Amino acid sequence: MSTMDPTNTVPAFRQVLAESLREEASVWLFVVKTLISFFAAGWLAMRFDLPAPSTAMLTTIIVANRQSGMVLAKSFYRTIGTLAGATAAIGIVASFPQQRDLFLVALSLWIGICAGGATLYRNFKSYAFVLAGYTAAIVAVPVIDNPPGVFDSAVFRISEVLLGILVSGVVSDVVFPSRMRDVLRRTAREQFAHFVGFVRDSTEGAIPRDAMEKAHLRFVRAAVTLEDLRSSVIFEDAEARVRSNHLRLFNQRFMAASTSFQSLHHLINRLKRAKRTRTADTLVRLYAPLADALQGPIEAGLAARVLLPHLVTARETMRRNAPELRATLDDPQDLRDFDTGASLLNRFAEELHAYIDAAASLQSPRVVAGSVERVSFDRGNDFLGAGIATFRTTLTMLILGAFWIESAWPMGASAMLLATIFAGLFATTPNPTRVTWVVMLGYLTGMVMGFICLFFVLTKMDGYGLLVLGVAPFLAVGLVMMMTPKLAFYGLGWAMGFAYILSLKNVQTYDPAHFINDAIAQVIGLGAAAVSFVVIPPAIGSAWLRRRQLARLRGQVALAAEAPLPGLRHRFESVNHDLVSQVVAQTEPGSADSRALIAWALAVHETGRALIELRHDMGRRDVPATLRPYLDESLRTLARFYEKPDAAGYLLARDAVATAIASVGEHEGQNHLLEHLHLVRLALLDGESVLAAYMPQAPLTKDIAHAS
Amino acid sequence: MPRELALGDALVPGLLVLFVLALLLLWLLDAIAGRFGLYRLVWHPPLFRLAVFVCVFGAFALFLF
Repeated sequence: MSTMDPTNTVPAFRQVLAESLREEASVWLFVVKTLISFFAAGWLAMRFDLPAPSTAMLTTIIVANRQSGMVLAKSFYRTIGTLAGATAAIGIVASFPQQRDLFLVALSLWIGICAGGATLYRNFKSYAFVLAGYTAAIVAVPVIDNPPGVFDSAVFRISEVLLGILVSGVVSDVVFPSRMRDVLRRTAREQFAHFVGFVRDSTEGAIPRDAMEKAHLRFVRAAVTLEDLRSSVIFEDAEARVRSNHLRLFNQRFMAASTSFQSLHHLINRLKRAKRTRTADTLVRLYAPLADALQGPIEAGLAARVLLPHLVTARETMRRNAPELRATLDDPQDLRDFDTGASLLNRFAEELHAYIDAAASLQSPRVVAGSVERVSFDRGNDFLGAGIATFRTTLTMLILGAFWIESAWPMGASAMLLATIFAGLFATTPNPTRVTWVVMLGYLTGMVMGFICLFFVLTKMDGYGLLVLGVAPFLAVGLVMMMTPKLAFYGLGWAMGFAYILSLKNVQTYDPAHFINDAIAQVIGLGAAAVSFVVIPPAIGSAWLRRRQLARLRGQVALAAEAPLPGLRHRFESVNHDLVSQVVAQTEPGSADSRALIAWALAVHETGRALIELRHDMGRRDVPATLRPYLDESLRTLARFYEKPDAAGYLLARDAVATAIASVGEHEGQNHLLEHLHLVRLALLDGESVLAAYMPQAPLTKDIAHAS
Repeated sequence: MPRELALGDALVPGLLVLFVLALLLLWLLDAIAGRFGLYRLVWHPPLFRLAVFVCVFGAFALFLF
């Protein structure tokens, strides 16, 4: 070390220091911002004489996030949830003012339904449902002995929450905001660079299957991440809001292009495996101009515009070269495969052009109105999973409610509230049992800290300024932990437990007996929520739900074959991506489950897209009446086979496609349909795909030699 | 304008109604500014937005007092 060259190591050391300082600074900025909004909300709530300033304070902790877009998005949904919950509470209390049993049943049902609804949505929309559930409990339970007070209770609750939201929204947006727009821009750029780079680097034609699977996963993740970011950024930035539709279009085109790209490579791989390298090489040669067009720096934004004319030229070159290259082949089967590949390539080039076009105009200074078609990102939801969440939450509430009534426990309301909040908040996390236990530990520590803070520190303090000084150090520890990935949930529990049990109000009461009783009730409520997750395991992450999601994924082929055509391409792509990313998030990478999933996803993607294109072509031009039944039959058998894969269904589908191909050959001028059918047939016969399990043991030898 | 409004027999402070109206107007202005890229001319868009809101809300409040 003594011979260290100072000119080399000092900058490196400085860089490391600067990096870690920057990271630390962002954590502490978050802590300071949260503390500012926490105490500003509390101070305002006290000035306004609201009965529970701690609710406003707690709200600032719940919506706290490093990115201001996230804070605004969460605030928006929290507002909606609070309003809905308060309305429901008034309705429930008004319906059963003197019937505690019916009241509890109605309340439990409402909370359960909200918890179920929450599982149907990703990101913050699910949060709105959770809130609608537990706000109803928070409003209604305290006034159970005094029904006329429900309106005041609702108004106070709403004011406190809105005050907290307003304060943290303003603080996080104005005080050194950390823009999510930049993250979004970076993600979109990375997606673009990755994909176009991948296309350019794969000109050799042969991408091993596992590399293809990995790339597929990455593309799926990229598409879903972009959509999630987009849905939050629109709250932060007016410009992003205007561009939101454009971004969606960008994402849809990305999904379409990546699917076609994969189909193309599967085709080439299959040809190579069948030792028919001549066709494969001809296709790769046809595809070469495309790679040349993409040479140069790849960057989304205006820089991408230079790629567009290159691409157009490349497509021209490809079109010119095609007959020439086709003439080098003579075998009819080779010609057939070449035509299939060429049309696929053409489709891919078209989609790539559209994608790059969308990327190029992502950042143009002015958006032209009406230039972008409306597209949406559809999600694949599971209603049975939602039903289970509903059932579990309702049951927990009913049991706690019955216990409360039977034991006449004075603190029952507290326990019930906490159970509601946590059963709802964590119902949508992949591993809620563990998360709830960790949060509970943090909550316990937070309450112990609250005890110390309240009875040993705050008793010596006077005035709001000193209160801030007394409370801030305790809270800051929890907030710092929230920002450490390993301790995030522990820290969340800490901060929530601390702020909740402290329940700061205008005239602070110091009553240790009540404090301890309340703490015990809250722990029991939390424990009940945790136990409920053990007793009725959440559907999310279970093998059962995964099987269902897989079945839904396969059902996508039926959707492609039978659903009404308008908008189907986008619907197919986005639901596919959402389903795959859901299952991927819930499986371990490299496990048997995850491999089976990806294998199915590839098959579904390829076949589904080909079917949709086939149906578009069928709709565009008239199909002779003698031909249509065969096409319809192959669509139908394929849909049935994918819905319920078995060997018999496989044979039916294979034969139906073969018949359709033969009958297209008998009709004049229908050759455009042939390419899609060939693609489907090749996918069906692919011996390396997931469908191999359903193939008969001794298939037609010619087919195997031809395609597997 | 009265300082308190009776909405469905619930007394609502007029200031709250104006606050909501000001929010709506701000949302409109925000959409227009975003649409034409006006925020690119501003150093700190959120701060600017907050300032516009204060102006709008303050001007509205003059109706009351």
